[in-house]
This record gives sequence, structure tokens and C-alpha cells, in this order.
Amino acid sequence: MARLGVFDLSVRYGKVPALMDVSLHLDEGERLFVAGPNGAGKSSLLKAISGAVPTTHGRIEMDGELLSGRAPENIARLGLSMVPEGREIFGTLSVEENLRVGTGIRRDYQAIAEDMQEIYQSFPVLHERRHTSAGDLSGGQQQMLAIGRALMTNPKLLMVDEPSLGLAPNIVDQVYDTLIALQKARGLTLLIVEQSSVRAARVGGRMVVLRGGKVVATGDAGEFAESDLLNEAYFGQSKAPSGAETHR
Amino acid sequence: MNAAPQLLFDALSLGGIYAMAALGIALIFGVMNLVNFAHGNYIAFCVFALILPSSDVVAVMFIGKLPTLLLIPVILAIGAGIAVASEYVIFRHMRGATPVAMMISSFALGFVIQNVMLTVYSSRAKAISLWPDLNTPVDIAGASIPLLQLIVIATTLIVVAGLALLLKKTRIGLEMRAAAENFTMARLLGVRANVVITGAFALSGALAAAVALIMATQTGVADIRMGGQIMLTAFIATVIGGLGSLPGAVAAGFLIGAISVVLQTFLPLEIRAFRDAFLYLFVIVILLAKPQGLFALRSAGPRV
Ligand SMILES: Nc1ncnc2c1ncn2[C@@H]1O[C@H](COP(=O)(O)OP(=O)(O)O)[C@@H](O)[C@H]1O
Ligand SMILES: [Mg+2]
Repeated sequence: MARLGVFDLSVRYGKVPALMDVSLHLDEGERLFVAGPNGAGKSSLLKAISGAVPTTHGRIEMDGELLSGRAPENIARLGLSMVPEGREIFGTLSVEENLRVGTGIRRDYQAIAEDMQEIYQSFPVLHERRHTSAGDLSGGQQQMLAIGRALMTNPKLLMVDEPSLGLAPNIVDQVYDTLIALQKARGLTLLIVEQSSVRAARVGGRMVVLRGGKVVATGDAGEFAESDLLNEAYFGQSKAPSGAETHR
Repeated sequence: MNAAPQLLFDALSLGGIYAMAALGIALIFGVMNLVNFAHGNYIAFCVFALILPSSDVVAVMFIGKLPTLLLIPVILAIGAGIAVASEYVIFRHMRGATPVAMMISSFALGFVIQNVMLTVYSSRAKAISLWPDLNTPVDIAGASIPLLQLIVIATTLIVVAGLALLLKKTRIGLEMRAAAENFTMARLLGVRANVVITGAFALSGALAAAVALIMATQTGVADIRMGGQIMLTAFIATVIGGLGSLPGAVAAGFLIGAISVVLQTFLPLEIRAFRDAFLYLFVIVILLAKPQGLFALRSAGPRV
């Protein structure tokens, strides 16, 4: 039984289709990258899985339980957490309050306190600034907070939408290092939207490429980085500008 | 006779009533983008809950006869009850509707409540006597202030402090603040939409009941239209404060109270009848200078 199974998923906004018959799966402890040009439907995929947008057609399962049709707060209770595109931290809440929002679904109070310490150890700057308004943090710090906040629900499956967006390369390194360390420590299953196949290859994992709401390629992230596969997947056959990597 | 303290107490007590009504509106706007125009009808409903249902001119006290320590929680519960009921019956089915559609529904709900009350109580205003002793004046700093004004000011402080504590220190308060800023994100973190929204309506209805008790004591009448004027002023206070901002609603409530009292006192007699025109002129000036309100929220995420 896969940790996450997506079967023939379609999503549309009014008449605009965003995803068409997308299927994919993720095993426990696995890491899957989702790539694709802007407007490919990557964020829509994550929102549909987490219940933030309704599915038009198809099925989503986690550990054999049906997710599609459930409210987002109930999906979170089943052990799924998301770091959305643009972080969406609560700017008027303090850093620590942001971390506590997601703990309402837990009753293991001892473990909540330990998780909080673990996140502060992974991101010491969040500990330093725990009493400041989250809106005053820098972009990189907000990304760390968004990841910490998602982890505080103690998820089995963590989905992260474009963690590198708008961050300096050294910050992106730090974010990924921490994600991977946390995955190892907790046996997390990770689904990450990442436009850069180089970055994905360096981290390692499987990769699914979306374009126009459909899955156009799947494989190992390393293969995409070495070949022109990704460009072909992005731009269609042969039109790929050689050497171009992941530009929008 | 000392005018300055008198003025101060007038401004604070009027502002306190506006602040409490504005808080009731801002709480609900914060969590579901709804400007609930039925809020004024909740106030009238709570006033009439004090008396026996009848169309007679003479009002017979009913709940209003209860001992104070029982009367207050009962009326607060009635206010919370009608607000929660309207959420359950109407607004729950409109989540995701446009703010305009929800606002129009709230108008419709207000008319329904008003007409039901018309049928039961008739349209005539009735004299009621709730805590008449509170209108006896006490001497403070050379001014003679009705005891009720002091109680209103104290009540406002207690309500504002209590609400601030609730929002800052409790789990439901944290969830309400998170939901007010970005409802979808809060739900993705497991915050239950229904719990937060029901909580906001209950608090809002209890605030309407508190305003009702004050108005009933102060005016000594029960009038079906009595919530309308205060609803309008409170709505304007929430806009000036920055829609959805609770500190903004309180600050703007006091500001409008202060401006009203100052205009009432210092406008020449012959134009005093136009006090509200001057008041709203101030409102327009403030909104021209700060279109988002004095305390605009830092970010406004998508709602349910
Ligand atoms: N809220 C929305 N309303 C209407 N259309 C939307 C909405 N969100 C996304 N879309 C459309 O759906 C498609 C997929 O968008 P998205 O999932 O954000 O793609 P990606 O994350 O890959 O850039 C795009 O065509 C986009 O314009
Ligand atoms: Mg996206």
C-alpha cells in the first residue's frame, strides 16, 4: 500500500482545467520531486491532495484512506501537511504562535514540546526571533518557519511547494539540508515541487514532470539533470534551447 | 459644574458602546469576510428578550426580572444563541459565496428578525425599567456623572481586556487569529473551520447582548429599531479601524464616540442638528487619508 496514491486526478477552476488525469504514487519514506513550467498545475496538484481545492474527477488516497472529498482540516488529521507556495505564514502572529497553530490536532503534549525544540535546533534563527511578528522575518526565515510550522502537525507526508522560490542559493542549500536531515530522522515521506533538476538531482529522488496539467515524464531526478529530457518535457519535442536548465 | 470631566466620561461611555458593537462586527468579518448587518437586530432582539412577548403598550418584565447575577449570563447566552443559530441556518451554507452575497443575506436576515419581532411585540416603543438606580448621578472631579456611564466604561475595559486575553492566551483564540489572517492556511494546519466560526458568532452575539443591556438601561425603552443606528455607526468604526482588525475596531469606536461628543458640545446651536453630517465628514477625511483604515491588517489571505 502506497503512502500516497493519486489516480486519474482532474482539477478545474470553473472552466479552466488545471490537471487532467494525473496519476502518481509515493512509497513510505520516499522522496518525489514534481517539476514543470509555470502554470503546469504543480500547485494545483498539492492543493487538491491537501483538500484546499476540490477535485473534479479521480481519487486520492493516503495509506489506503480516501482523501478526496474530505475537508482540509480532516486531511491534516490523517497526517498530511503542506508548505504552500509563497509560505503563507501568519504575519500578525509571533514566530512561536505560528509553530503552535498546527499542534491543535495533537494530544501528545510531551512530543509537541520536543518537536518544538527540534525545530529550533534545526533553525536557530527561529528560536532567536520566536517572540517577533512572523511578518518581520526575511524570506528565507519565513520559508524555515513555514517548514517548521508544517512539521509541528507531526505529519507522515510533507508536501513543499517551491521551497527555493525567491531565496539566495546558500539559503536554499540550508533549507534542503534541513529537510533531508528531518526526513531521515523522522522517516518522513516528502513531495517537493522544484523547478531546478540540478537541485533535485543533487538532493536525489524520483521526479515527475507536469506540463499543461498532464504528467509528461517520470524518472530519476539525476537522469533529468544529465539529459535534455526536462527541456523536452517542458517545451515539447526538439524546441528545447540546449544548455538551458529550468527557466520559466 | 466642571465641563471637562463630564465631556471625558460622555466620550468614553459612548465610545465604549460603539467599540463593543464594532468588535462584534469585526470578529465575524475577520473569520469569514461577512459584514453582518443583522448585528443591530441581535441587539434589539436581546432588549426585547427582557420583557414578556406581547403586543401591549405596557411592557411586563420577564427575563428582566431575574436577579442581576443571573440576568446578565442569560441575556449574553441569548445573544450568543441567536448569532450562532443564524450562522448555522444561513451563513454556514454561504461559505465561499461572495462577500456581497453574504452581506445581502445578512440584511435579509435582519429584516426577518425585525418583522418577527414586529408581529410579536407590535411596532410601538415600550417603556422598560431595567436597573433604574444606575441612572443616579455620582460626583467625580466636580462633575456629576451617571453611575451607568462609569459602569459602561468599566464594562468596555473588562470586555476588551477579556477578549484580548482570550485571543492571546487560549487555543481557540490562537486559532481565531490565524483563521482571521488566512483561513485556508489555518485549515491546512488542522484548525476546524466550524469551531472557529461558531466561536466568533457566539462572542459576537454576546457582545450584542452586552450593548443591549446598556442601551436598555440608558434609554429606558424597548424599540424594535433601536439596533439600527448603532449598527451603522459601529460598521463605520470597523471600516475606519481597518475591516477585521480588532484593535482597530476598538480604537475607532472610541474615536467616533469622542468626535460625536465634542461636536455635540461645541457646535453652535443652530447647526448642531447637522452633527452627524460633520461626523461623517471626519470619517471621509480619515478614509481619504487611510483607505485601508487606521489598523489595516498586514496581509489578507484567501478565506473559506
Ligand atoms: N485560483 C485559480 N483560479 C483560476 N485558475 C487558476 C487558479 N489557480 C491556478 N489557476 C490556473 O490553473 C493552472 C495551473 O496553475 P498552478 O497549479 O498554479 O500551476 P503551477 O504551480 O505549476 O505554476 C494555470 O493555468 C493557472 O492559471
Ligand atoms: Mg505553483
